[in-house]
Amino acid sequence: MTFDLSTPEASSAAEWRGVDVRYPFAGRNAVGPLDLQLRPGERVLLLGASGSGKSTLLLTLTGLLPNSIPAEVGGEITIGGIDVGSREPAGWAPEVAQYFQDADQTLCGMRVEDEIAFALENRAMPEAEIAAVIGDAMREVRLPESWRQRRSSSLSGGERQLVALAATLVQDAGIFVADEPTAHLAPEAANRLHALLAKAPATQTMLIVDHRLDGLIETIDRMVVLGADGTIIADGVPRTIFRDKRAVLATLGIWRPAAAELDGELTRIGLAPPIAPLSIEEALAHLDPSHAPQSAIARAKPVVAAFVAACAAPADAAVTDAPVAAELLDAACAPFLGPVVLRNVDFRIREGETVGILGANGAGKSTLGLCLAGLLPVKSGKRQGATGGVAFQRSENQFVGGTVSDELRAALPPRIGDAEQARLVAETLEKWGLGGLGRQHPFELSQGQKRRLALATLTITDRWPLLVLDEPMAGLDAAGAAALTAQIAGLCRQGRAVAVITHDMDLALRLCPRSIVVGEGRILADGPTGELLRDADLLRRADLAEPSSAAARRWLDRVAAC
Amino acid sequence: MAGPGRRVLNALNPLSKLAVCAIWLAASVLIFDAWFQIAAILLVWLVLIVFQRTSPLVLLALMVPFCLFGLGFLTTSVLFRQESDFAVQVASETPFGSRAFSAGVNLFLRAIACGMISTFFALTTDPGAFVRALMAYAKLPPRIGYSLFAVMQLVPDLAAEAQQMRFARAMKSGRAPRRIPGPFEAVSLVIPLLAFGIRRAGRTAIAMEARGLATGTPRTLTNVPKFSVRDAAFVAIALAILGSLTVATGR
Repeated sequence: MTFDLSTPEASSAAEWRGVDVRYPFAGRNAVGPLDLQLRPGERVLLLGASGSGKSTLLLTLTGLLPNSIPAEVGGEITIGGIDVGSREPAGWAPEVAQYFQDADQTLCGMRVEDEIAFALENRAMPEAEIAAVIGDAMREVRLPESWRQRRSSSLSGGERQLVALAATLVQDAGIFVADEPTAHLAPEAANRLHALLAKAPATQTMLIVDHRLDGLIETIDRMVVLGADGTIIADGVPRTIFRDKRAVLATLGIWRPAAAELDGELTRIGLAPPIAPLSIEEALAHLDPSHAPQSAIARAKPVVAAFVAACAAPADAAVTDAPVAAELLDAACAPFLGPVVLRNVDFRIREGETVGILGANGAGKSTLGLCLAGLLPVKSGKRQGATGGVAFQRSENQFVGGTVSDELRAALPPRIGDAEQARLVAETLEKWGLGGLGRQHPFELSQGQKRRLALATLTITDRWPLLVLDEPMAGLDAAGAAALTAQIAGLCRQGRAVAVITHDMDLALRLCPRSIVVGEGRILADGPTGELLRDADLLRRADLAEPSSAAARRWLDRVAAC
Repeated sequence: MAGPGRRVLNALNPLSKLAVCAIWLAASVLIFDAWFQIAAILLVWLVLIVFQRTSPLVLLALMVPFCLFGLGFLTTSVLFRQESDFAVQVASETPFGSRAFSAGVNLFLRAIACGMISTFFALTTDPGAFVRALMAYAKLPPRIGYSLFAVMQLVPDLAAEAQQMRFARAMKSGRAPRRIPGPFEAVSLVIPLLAFGIRRAGRTAIAMEARGLATGTPRTLTNVPKFSVRDAAFVAIALAILGSLTVATGR
């Protein structure tokens, strides 16, 4: 049985009434108690710090939790006014399309076209219709035709996410639920996804969890913020919340769009935009150099300049004369037992240097990182330098301990005494925001917590002169990202070389004085990050996008030209 | 790129191949004749090399476990021949030296022949197509079919996962990973891989459930392999060769 969630009779597309969730053996609720109603056609963004229960809340919607994942769920959950428990989770698939945080939770390991067809087959859609829908979905998400016969598990993390998106979009359900849909996507692909969400039918209700707000937030009608205890601390229009609750969001370590920071600075000097801005363009629209009062522009200029400077790595952070930590010379890089994906790679990283490795999904960034660290031998050419420590994209792969504390202890040299070990472990847990989780199994942590643990194990000692961090910020909240950024800067000051593989152009600009851009089977460019991210042709070739502060820099250029 | 021959074998209905392979396996088990087994092995080799463009080196590597298995039969037969009177009696009619050795060779070749017939099926059949064919023609319930499919897909994923774990461990030990894991390393990967398998199975089950896979509801099956004239020709040729071989080897 299906029903139309957009009809006036359906007063709510979905509703949680007095809902709380507690996992087995957990000492407190993962979520709630909370009340939340999604109105038909509403686009809701769910924000919260890492571990605040956002993913848990989404899993309760169709009853996957507690039906498939054990937990105690209290309260009442309805879809279109019908109790969720009245059907099996699979029975809600026609009404709810779910896009999970981990693409492996959305995909089943089939060939790409079979993955996309799966939900439609389950709905008994005629075969000819399915074929047409698959073609449309692949075109819409811009999946190459050559992927049709490829197994989804043979794709890179970002590529899998695109397939998962196509597989979810074809469901054309009344409610679309997405948990961090852009976490592993390159900027151009993330923009594509945001565009797809923006042009979705007005009748479709959306509930989205995402940390990457720039480009998405403009399409959102309403924002719900979860506090650290899993209860709702703010519910309203994004513009209002980002301006009125700026301090609260910052304190809780919740992501805000870049414009919210600039809005705060402009408000401080009495030049607040007339409406709370969601983009840098909106924040500076009332200060257009061609018609705004010169006095206002003069007051705003140092503030905007300081904002732009804060978004970029300090100019003096560039390292040019330190000893080389590791280098690849005319190297050919290939994944283990796979074909060469990058050729003629000449790349060196110096002690104390932070270098960004940027590129589209599937460009070979992770393979390059493993070769640089010395974990993958180069197929031809040469690698020199110290072996590096790698923070893998899937943090779970590097966990071997039974508890979080064991994991950290295993990373310490055995000669350290028990008391010193305990002190270092406790100190590291606090430093990485993992206090109180020492006795939990690493696999029980949230995605952000897992990532912090992986990084904590790499930095608890000074064993690694070179660190390769593969998407280090994926799954982290703003506080975690800020802490990690400070940690990385500290590591570099200690003389360690850090290579950061990232899709986040803002992060690359802020953290890496120098970057390389990977694409077309080679290194396309190597230079100061700011310059690379201003090269429109390069960004287009590499499927990248400019950082969010670019509009502010352009404003400064216009002011200077006037 | 796949050659035309590769397309021919892959385009055959998996159930045709399954039926032919099952008949050939039964023949290999029942016909206790070394020449028959040798012919079966050579035939599979010929077909895979000519039509599937499989490298002879790959086939040799794939034969290793079956050879080891067969070697067990050979040594057992030579050392404990009183335990296999029937086999020894039958094998005595073949031109392979002593009765015990002859029986051992027969069993050894039979193990390889069965292995190569299975290899033929595995190398020429897409697991997804096989499961779809079973669901469409053998009325295999979708829940079981997709579970079977997920298990088949888990094998390459386990290899990829093992590789990631080996990287992480190599990093912690400060050494680059060896191309082939040593016995201690292999054993140490068993429990984490088992844990991965369980986690992966849970995730796949959730993924399938979230996308509407349920019991007792009608569903469409797309990309179902069709039966064609080629299947009939394949079955006819395979059975004709089998018949000829059987006659030629005196059974």
